[in-house]
Amino acid sequence: MFVIRYRKFFVLFALALIVGSIAIISFFGLRLGIDFAGGSLTEVVYNTTLPDKSFLESEITNLDIGNFTVRESQDEVGRDGFLVRTRSLTESERETLTAAAVSIGEGGEVTRFTSIGPVIGQELRDKSVWAITGVALIIVLYVAFAFAGIGKPVSSWVYGGITILILIHDVLLPAAIISILGVVAGVEIDVLFVMAILAVLGYSVNDTIVVFDRVRENLIQNRTEKKIKTNVAGVVNEEIEYTLTKPFEEIVGSAVTQTIARSINTSLTTLVTLTALYFIGGSVTQTFALVLIVGVLAGTYSSIAMASPLLITYAKWQAGREVKK
Amino acid sequence: MTNKSQTTSLATDNFLRIFKAVAILGAITWLGFFVYGNATNPDSNSPFKLGLDLAGGAQLVYEADISKIDPVEIPALMNVLRDVIEQRINIFGVSEPVVYLQSSSFVSDERSERLVVELPGVTDVAQAVAEIGRTPLLEFKLLDRQVAAAQEQVLALQASATGTGALLSNVQIDGELVDDMNPYTDTGLTGRYLESAQLEFAGNQGGQLSNEPVVSITFDSEGAELFTQITRNNVGEQLAIFLDGELLSAPRINEAISGGTAIISGGFDPKEARLLAQNLSFGALPVPIELLSTQTVGATLGQEVLDKGMEAAVFGFGLVLLFMIFWYRLPGVVATIALLSYVAIILALFQFIPVVLTAAGLAGFVLSLGMAVDANVLVFERMKEEIRSGKGSRVAAVEGFNRAWGAIRDGNITSLLSAIILFWFGTSMVKGFALVFGIGILISMFSALFISRSLLEALPDVKKEDSPFWSFLFGSGLLK
Repeated sequence: MFVIRYRKFFVLFALALIVGSIAIISFFGLRLGIDFAGGSLTEVVYNTTLPDKSFLESEITNLDIGNFTVRESQDEVGRDGFLVRTRSLTESERETLTAAAVSIGEGGEVTRFTSIGPVIGQELRDKSVWAITGVALIIVLYVAFAFAGIGKPVSSWVYGGITILILIHDVLLPAAIISILGVVAGVEIDVLFVMAILAVLGYSVNDTIVVFDRVRENLIQNRTEKKIKTNVAGVVNEEIEYTLTKPFEEIVGSAVTQTIARSINTSLTTLVTLTALYFIGGSVTQTFALVLIVGVLAGTYSSIAMASPLLITYAKWQAGREVKK
Repeated sequence: MTNKSQTTSLATDNFLRIFKAVAILGAITWLGFFVYGNATNPDSNSPFKLGLDLAGGAQLVYEADISKIDPVEIPALMNVLRDVIEQRINIFGVSEPVVYLQSSSFVSDERSERLVVELPGVTDVAQAVAEIGRTPLLEFKLLDRQVAAAQEQVLALQASATGTGALLSNVQIDGELVDDMNPYTDTGLTGRYLESAQLEFAGNQGGQLSNEPVVSITFDSEGAELFTQITRNNVGEQLAIFLDGELLSAPRINEAISGGTAIISGGFDPKEARLLAQNLSFGALPVPIELLSTQTVGATLGQEVLDKGMEAAVFGFGLVLLFMIFWYRLPGVVATIALLSYVAIILALFQFIPVVLTAAGLAGFVLSLGMAVDANVLVFERMKEEIRSGKGSRVAAVEGFNRAWGAIRDGNITSLLSAIILFWFGTSMVKGFALVFGIGILISMFSALFISRSLLEALPDVKKEDSPFWSFLFGSGLLK
């Protein structure tokens, strides 16, 4: 299997992607939307040509409601308008802002208004972190549990650990893309982004588990049992020792070959629906679809080119250490 | 076993397999029509429930200030709060408003109690916000009996003499139109002077046995003084009691009342009386509330998001089905049927649980359409291996299911655990997504493990070398 043969290249490439993503995210950061930072977002659209942005800006400056940003946008029907982001507004401030925004152009209409107090913003941030951590934790525990008894040459915790490393890879890539888009196009992260990330987590684990499951099955098929009886102080202990009939590398390699068609086909069908969602679906869920598209691509790559190579790399390293002892 | 009985049992077995497959197809078709009927019939009992971001409307989130309240009382008070707000919203005349409480999850450090008000179809929230924040107004007014009697007479005359009503609309007293006169004069005594209010049952009064629920109110010292003064100066008059501008009762003042207590009766039932007592004794609301967040979505916008989401779902799903048929051929057709049943079952559950559909939920659903094929793909790939090794298609199908089960189980359990965690931690929006996600996992497993399996096992059992045509149908990919 080529991914096994050239595993160093594939693993290094994945690690480079991880490091690159971390660099991008820590350098550019993620733009927090009002869901997390608190504040108000007003979408105003006009029937006719879009009024000059500076009109709106000067109108809002007159209202004296603190810092604000105005971005050009398009609503779902295709009307041109603006997105105004301000601090969290009171009811009367909302009314004056609405009046000002509507007044500058013909057929002005506020199509969307969201105001989130700082309390809720903080809370959503906390909850998102908790949810992501919780899901990741449960996954590693389950994988370690489900693969318990897989025994030699690699312990089930290693399978869990690799799953987590892959998760990190699959989540960092879309996050880095969003980080870049934040700088380039002002894309912000919101609750939907967190949901997309969580969905990527689920997808990624599923993908990795399918490969590991096949590794497990092949290990069981390609081993011989030897029962060893020991007599310690009159108590007979029976232990079973397994010996692999093929090199571990080969067993894992055939698992990748056997699952690669499934990995590609499932990711294809998932990508098809996501692409439809991205291009046809509403603009509300566009970022969601994008995060998932990148995440599914990353997940497919990592389950094929990272999971098994890492397993073998670890097994070799472990063997080398045992020899040294 | 003789050869004959073997063939009979084989024939029965085949019949049973086909019967099961046909029964499943029938049930799914019926469910599909049923869901479609529910969705398109406007009078249906269980249509799809759309969230505010799809239906358009406003959502207001209030935080209740519970810092000064005994924790034991909080649940009861929050329920009262909800009832009061619900009543005020109902006055406002929104169709199907939703008011619900939200307690902080155990994740947050501080305990918080929230009230969420959802107003479908309302995008101008100014009026709603004012209505919710309103203080119930209790007023005491003196009734000018002369004016009231005059108005009554005019009304009576108008009623008895229809046709001449035009003449009667000009009745005047001291140069003022009777119709325009207000028989009630403000006394300055309002709910502001209240100290407490409680529910009582009017006992044995005036020789009559009655158990009418009434609200007994106690004024503070200033209010008590005012009340004594008003009653002393107006013995024999009627003192009208208004709540929110609506006349409750107008008892006659028999004597000066000192001590600062009064009874409000107005034909309440016990529940109303208790609510009024609670409303009054806590001033405005049982718990002070503060507006935390507002969200409004225009109705056309929501509809557009919904339409586009549906379009994406249909288009994406169609492509997935085409791919499955193209790549997996006959088993692909089986997968297509299984996926169609997946959609029918999911939509039926959305209607009956009911699951409130939001933009996020819709996106989750579209995603699940792509992922739901996974179990089928896993099985078909295993089947392919078995057929290659020379097994008949039916044995291969059974083996495929058995061997793919481990991967399907482990993959789905982790996803299900994630969904549970999401549901547990999540805010209402995340909860909706988690629910859609979790249901999707369970149903996709069902559709693959039960429906696909039953259908595949009903197909004829063929071996690779038997018939090139059948072996083509069971093949996959670009191979012959």
